Amino acid sequence: MNKTEKERIIEEEQKDASPVIIQLGIFAAVLFVSNILSLIMPKAFPVPVPVWGLIILYVLLTTHVVKLHQVEKLSGFLIGIIGVFFVPSGIQMYKSLDLIKEDGITLFIAIIASTIVLLVTVTFTTRLFISISRKIRNRRE
Amino acid sequence: MQFINNTFFGIFVSVVVYLIGLYLFNRFNNFFLFQPLFVGMILGIFVLWVLEHAMGVSSTLIYDAFWHGGKDNFIGANLLFWFLGPATISFAIPLYKRNDIVKDYWLEILLSLVVGLFISLIIIYYICRALNLSNSEIASLLPQSATTAIALPLSTSIGGIPAITAMTVILNSVIVLAIGDQLVKWLKLDTDPIGIGLGLGTSGHTIGSAKAVKLGSIEGAMASIAVIVVGIVTNIVVPLFARLIGLK
Repeated sequence: MNKTEKERIIEEEQKDASPVIIQLGIFAAVLFVSNILSLIMPKAFPVPVPVWGLIILYVLLTTHVVKLHQVEKLSGFLIGIIGVFFVPSGIQMYKSLDLIKEDGITLFIAIIASTIVLLVTVTFTTRLFISISRKIRNRRE
Repeated sequence: MQFINNTFFGIFVSVVVYLIGLYLFNRFNNFFLFQPLFVGMILGIFVLWVLEHAMGVSSTLIYDAFWHGGKDNFIGANLLFWFLGPATISFAIPLYKRNDIVKDYWLEILLSLVVGLFISLIIIYYICRALNLSNSEIASLLPQSATTAIALPLSTSIGGIPAITAMTVILNSVIVLAIGDQLVKWLKLDTDPIGIGLGLGTSGHTIGSAKAVKLGSIEGAMASIAVIVVGIVTNIVVPLFARLIGLK
């Protein structure tokens, strides 16, 4: 089996997962720093705390300060049950029920349509750009 | 009122309705309308609504009990909500595992997101116009590609109603989770994992990304990068677009 360098590094880093408490510690540290960073950012250009955290953890991983086995288990767990975390946000809409009453159906249709538009347009545009760039790359070779 | 004014009322309701959704989803062969999140949301709203009318109290009181355990507590369902933060950070891992794709295609990814977002805004604008929505409602729908923390202030600044924007962002996730991958397959757009990932991440935010992670490693990584980049791009493009169409 031929393994790329990348795959080899990932496999190396996945060896014996760190205890949950260490994984929690790393997450807590990243969140703490992200909180400070997002306080410093100007009001007109907000970067949410979790997005800062995503960037920081990514940088830590690429610089190998944090190894994959130190965070992978917790992150897999959190992503796996993210649906449950989102339920309160959904139920939160209970608060805006009277908001929907007025233009309810139209607004609802507009939201469904615009979600689909976003999904399809971005997917389509990307496919187009990637296929164009592949053609250009092939010609160069 | 006493018995729902505690921390575990909100958490209990949220978890139970989700589990009922999960049961129905498995029972009916993963039928998309029985998506656990969707069922849980509807059931949860229904439970609160029934409680409101059965106990004859205001909806605010019920909501407070659900969200932070009533007036004497600070924690309720918002504890579960809080975990969305660490869960979002977790997407650094799928991103790191396939950052070779990002290195190869960063320009294409960036261009696709900016151009795709701009085209979407134009189409969304005309759909709203066709549906006869007011200017403030249109302004509320335009920032929806960003996550709540970015979309709400943006919505206010272009004359939108933050509550509608918040609802839109939540519904985005639910809709993408329910029909996202089916739709992409159906329109035969599923040939390029990079496209699927960026699409799911842009339209469905972190929930869409969780779906993308399940589809494959490239999809997951691309959805994660979309969550980062789209927020920033939205913050720049949407105010320009709003000015262009004369919203504010």
